[in-house]
Amino acid sequence: MLTFIQMEFLKLKRSNIFLLSIIGSILPPLLMFIAVIGFNEANSFDTLFANVNMYMSAVFAVLLFAIILSYLFGREYNEHTLKTILTIPISREKFLLTKYLMFLVWILILTVVTSISTLIFGFIAGLEGFTLKLFIDSFVELLYANVLLFLTFSPFVFLSLFITNMVPAMIGGATLTLVNLMIYGQNWAPLVPWVCPYLIASGEIAEYSTSISISYAVIIVTFLIGLAISYIYFTKKDVSL
Amino acid sequence: MGEKMNDYVIETRNLSKKYSKNTVVNSINMHVEKGKIYGLLGKNGAGKTTTMCMLLNMVSPSDGEIFLFGKNPKKYPTEIYSKIGSIIETPGFYENLTAYENLKVISKLRGNYNPQDINLILEMVNLENAKSKKFKDFSLGMKQRLGIAAAIMHTPELLILDEPINGLDPIGIKEIRTLLKRLTHEFGITILISSHILSEIENIADVIGFMDEGILIEEISKEDLLKRLNKFVEFEVSNIDLACEILKKLELKENYDFTIENNGIIRLYSKLELRDQFNALFVNSGINVKKVNLCEENLENFFLRMIQNN
Repeated sequence: MLTFIQMEFLKLKRSNIFLLSIIGSILPPLLMFIAVIGFNEANSFDTLFANVNMYMSAVFAVLLFAIILSYLFGREYNEHTLKTILTIPISREKFLLTKYLMFLVWILILTVVTSISTLIFGFIAGLEGFTLKLFIDSFVELLYANVLLFLTFSPFVFLSLFITNMVPAMIGGATLTLVNLMIYGQNWAPLVPWVCPYLIASGEIAEYSTSISISYAVIIVTFLIGLAISYIYFTKKDVSL
Repeated sequence: MGEKMNDYVIETRNLSKKYSKNTVVNSINMHVEKGKIYGLLGKNGAGKTTTMCMLLNMVSPSDGEIFLFGKNPKKYPTEIYSKIGSIIETPGFYENLTAYENLKVISKLRGNYNPQDINLILEMVNLENAKSKKFKDFSLGMKQRLGIAAAIMHTPELLILDEPINGLDPIGIKEIRTLLKRLTHEFGITILISSHILSEIENIADVIGFMDEGILIEEISKEDLLKRLNKFVEFEVSNIDLACEILKKLELKENYDFTIENNGIIRLYSKLELRDQFNALFVNSGINVKKVNLCEENLENFFLRMIQNN
């Protein structure tokens, strides 16, 4: 499986999408940095980390992950490489698993980039209150939120297989981002799969009347449904030329 | 259904593919022998690509069975498909990667990556100078040659090539033809190749499968094909009416034993061995015979005749 992931990285060579996603993962820390400098939005590392984590995992990551996922699957159709890969032969199950794992690895890289860039911007802004524990706690929180968010993206795998063009993914991701913004703070936010990962990871879910186990159940059910439909669709459907 | 134990590398039994009410491949029984080049001939939309896609497990059959190397590929997919190289329509490669990197991805995933092998295969298809060039900058001919490189890189026992000469210039076509013949004769590789270009199939194939509207009309070996091509004699005469009259007097029927073509040409299909005597009769009757040609039907006419009969 390591070779498969290595080859996924080789496929990204000279590809703009990876660089753009890295830039994308730096955007929330950068915007927060501008807010700190321009509007005194935060004066401590604690607040900066909290704000970046919220904007990243509850808002920006939804759009970013949708685009990444659409690219990972869509390019195999658009560049007609799916027929080349499957006739190697690579089983469809293995192909699907590799893509899921690559998506997860990609998310982990973006999480690291976001956390480190937040740290750097915090120091540049001259914020106070930095401790290693604070950084690690913040990183773990973002990582946990993003991994949970990864699970909720399995329905997007199906959509990426069904509509291989990136434009619908971008529109879908943007729509979901707006929906998240509207829902955040509502009583039923813990029931929405793409909002509850941040609520769980940040501990904000304690402020809601909904039990945390229900939020976990929502995430798991979303994951299983997405996994099942993407698996059934991909393994049964003829390969388009 | 039990496993087939015979010399066929590919065998299908009543293989069909339907898309809703549209039957694209209709109950075909294909037999490809080991070490042979099998040319699948048919016009565009005949069902050649769909048939190949079903053989490669890219498309699920609606009905029928497939045996590859005498085995059911559904039961032994890795064992069987690792012995096959293929190109289906335009080869698919990662546009941002070079020729070398694309072959590296494929060989790594196959588990047989060897830099020397890649360099060797690129040389074989005359792409050694383009190994560092990005695939998106390749011409159609170069893409096709890289596709062939990827298909033969792992020295497969069976090659399934769908229109592999598309986009190649005449020199490229000749090179690929020579390469494919070499692969068969030197390495014993079996090749299933499809094309709508009749002359290409005629040049390369040992056995030809004629396909039309999803039906495999007939499989004919090259030897049998030569025997079955219609032969005829063409007389170019100065007085076609008189020549016809003479033939009719000899109890030859117009539009059956002979036909009248344009430009004063009579085409004779029967009693070809008597062509000298007919010539003498024409001359003695004052007809100026400008040309007498013994001709053979070409593959194109044979193919058209088959389709019409079908």
